[in-house]
Amino acid sequence: MSERVVISPTSRQEGHAELVMEVDDEGIVTKGRYFSITPVRGLEKMLTGKAPESAPVYAQRICGVCPIPHTLASVEAMDDSLDIEIPKAARQMRELVLAAHDVNSHAIHHFLIAADFVPENLFATAVNSVSEIRKTAQYVVDMVAGEGIHPSDVRIGGMADNISEVARKKLYARCKALKPKVDAHVELIVGLVADKGLPAGLGVHNQPILTTDNLYGDRENFDLDRFTEIMPESWYDDAEIAKRACSTIPLYDGMNVEVGPRARAAKFRGFTEKGVVAQHVARAMEMKSALSKMIAILAELDTSAPVRADFDVRGTNKLGIGAIEGPRGLDVHMAQVANGKTQFYSCLVPTTWNIPTMGPATEGFHHEFGPHVIRAYDPCLSCATHVIVVDDEDRSVIKNEMVRI
Amino acid sequence: MVLGTYKEVVAARSTDKQIQKIAQDGGIVSALFCYALDEKLIDGAVVAGPTEELWKPAPTVAMTAEEVLAAAGTKYTFSPNVWMLKKAARQYGLEKIGTVAIPCQLMGIRKMQSYPFGVRFLADKIALAVGIFCMENFPFASLQTFISEKMGLDPNLVEKMDIGKGKFWAYTADDVYTLPLKETHGYEQNGCKICLDYVAELADVSTGSVGTPDGWSTVFTRTDAGETIFKAAVEAGVIETKAIDDVKPGLGLLEKLATDKKTKAMKVIDDRKAMGLPVPYKASSEKEDPLANI
Repeated sequence: MSERVVISPTSRQEGHAELVMEVDDEGIVTKGRYFSITPVRGLEKMLTGKAPESAPVYAQRICGVCPIPHTLASVEAMDDSLDIEIPKAARQMRELVLAAHDVNSHAIHHFLIAADFVPENLFATAVNSVSEIRKTAQYVVDMVAGEGIHPSDVRIGGMADNISEVARKKLYARCKALKPKVDAHVELIVGLVADKGLPAGLGVHNQPILTTDNLYGDRENFDLDRFTEIMPESWYDDAEIAKRACSTIPLYDGMNVEVGPRARAAKFRGFTEKGVVAQHVARAMEMKSALSKMIAILAELDTSAPVRADFDVRGTNKLGIGAIEGPRGLDVHMAQVANGKTQFYSCLVPTTWNIPTMGPATEGFHHEFGPHVIRAYDPCLSCATHVIVVDDEDRSVIKNEMVRI
Repeated sequence: MVLGTYKEVVAARSTDKQIQKIAQDGGIVSALFCYALDEKLIDGAVVAGPTEELWKPAPTVAMTAEEVLAAAGTKYTFSPNVWMLKKAARQYGLEKIGTVAIPCQLMGIRKMQSYPFGVRFLADKIALAVGIFCMENFPFASLQTFISEKMGLDPNLVEKMDIGKGKFWAYTADDVYTLPLKETHGYEQNGCKICLDYVAELADVSTGSVGTPDGWSTVFTRTDAGETIFKAAVEAGVIETKAIDDVKPGLGLLEKLATDKKTKAMKVIDDRKAMGLPVPYKASSEKEDPLANI
């Protein structure tokens, strides 16, 4: 006897999604489907026909959770389309901003999973630890990129301005001082996740991982020819779910993949564990990697070096690719510029990659563990939503089937 | 209230001989910033610093007394200091920022502090906003034009400029040139015609030459922050003061000029409103005090 367990919307994540699990008599999940029900944003369409400089300004507003990766992927795509080689110091500043954002974003995720893992007596400790880390990490983004949430100073061709020597020293000192706090925080989170005693093998799947770089992102390692995109109708074997799903299904080598901290750790840091616990551990450990990268960059950044290249904004219609390793995984933006205007723009964002993998990852365990599996991916759906299946006749999706909170 | 809200008004000047020598009048802005930097009340100030082009200032972040003094003296053209505030907080990493601004810039700063759109964490970092009295301001090209064409003088020879006693003054190494102010009319920027603020009503401390004798400045302390810093500077002996009633010409002239500016501007505002033009002020019929800076 098969029964359906539906969680809608799934909680403690950004955006709205639904988890539909078919369970057997023991409550074990035999089939898991996870899909986005967040309304479509349409930002890519808004960008066509506009000046290339508009792209990062719009793209960063896809979502306030990871505006930094979207800004960086956007300028990287434009840099590529316009054949710009950015100065070394600009590249360092971009890497610094992303690393700081990683630390901040992973810390936010620890808020979201606190209710799962943190016992009452440690709650204040964990929350204070997250707040302290975020304060310094966001301060770095503020100073280097202009704004902590929608960075104004990450520009096509580099950065708007270098930072002053005074600011560099200040940030360097603060990041150094943050190190023991981050170490203690990581130990706390990793310890608490282990204490929970989740069943071994929870969330383990056999899908490949996809990542382009240890921390920043490298377009050379993203092969567009190996990428395909299909509509939810050809992916979900349930007509009703396929109709309601709001995201496309991206495949690499024809397979759904996992992106994110565990993928990066596995490919670049010799990490071999899999599953929910491994994802939490990889994410926490990545805070250390990101912080040490921030410290290294701040130690050597030349604050008198130029940070912006000259460029010709007209463009040759070359397809530019920006591949950025966001906190939740690979974020690819693609852009074509000709006659000084954006001709084509497309975003291929972290959670979209994970969506088809997350549902099946719940299979084989009791459905009560389903939400744990989902949260281990830190899904963020606003940007993942790219398509909406609308019946032009009765516009049924828009009218009735959006999530109501 | 044509002089705005204030706690106290005095005549004052810097006691530092070097500042007295290079300052426009009493050297109040320089003295306050140098003192505040020394005492770490601010960790930098956005000032109108020198550029490669003589008399054309550019917003500069001064973090030492030398940098403050390099910016001393009035330049009768724009220095968009407000634009630099965010950079001072971000790329320069300052946490207590001082700035000097003319009335219109102060309106921008205060509005920005009330609605910090795109300037997160900047509003609370402005520790000292010093305002300077301003009747009108000239685009750089205007300044060059009337100096070279009307006064017959190469701007590069000018060592100091001043406005006072109804004239525009230009001092060269060995001569003094003047131009009646009515000759400069038409060269000021258009926005000045609707400006209702002469004495920097929104500053923490505002200062200017009018009301006091040569070498002195009139100083209004307007906010708690401004009063604290100004009093501390007086106490520390870097600024000396006299009662405003003991000096000539005194507050009367200031009141007259402020009333004149407001009355003239209010007429232009009402005219523009009557034509349906957008003006960022209320018409005189829309407010209780027709001369209020709102």
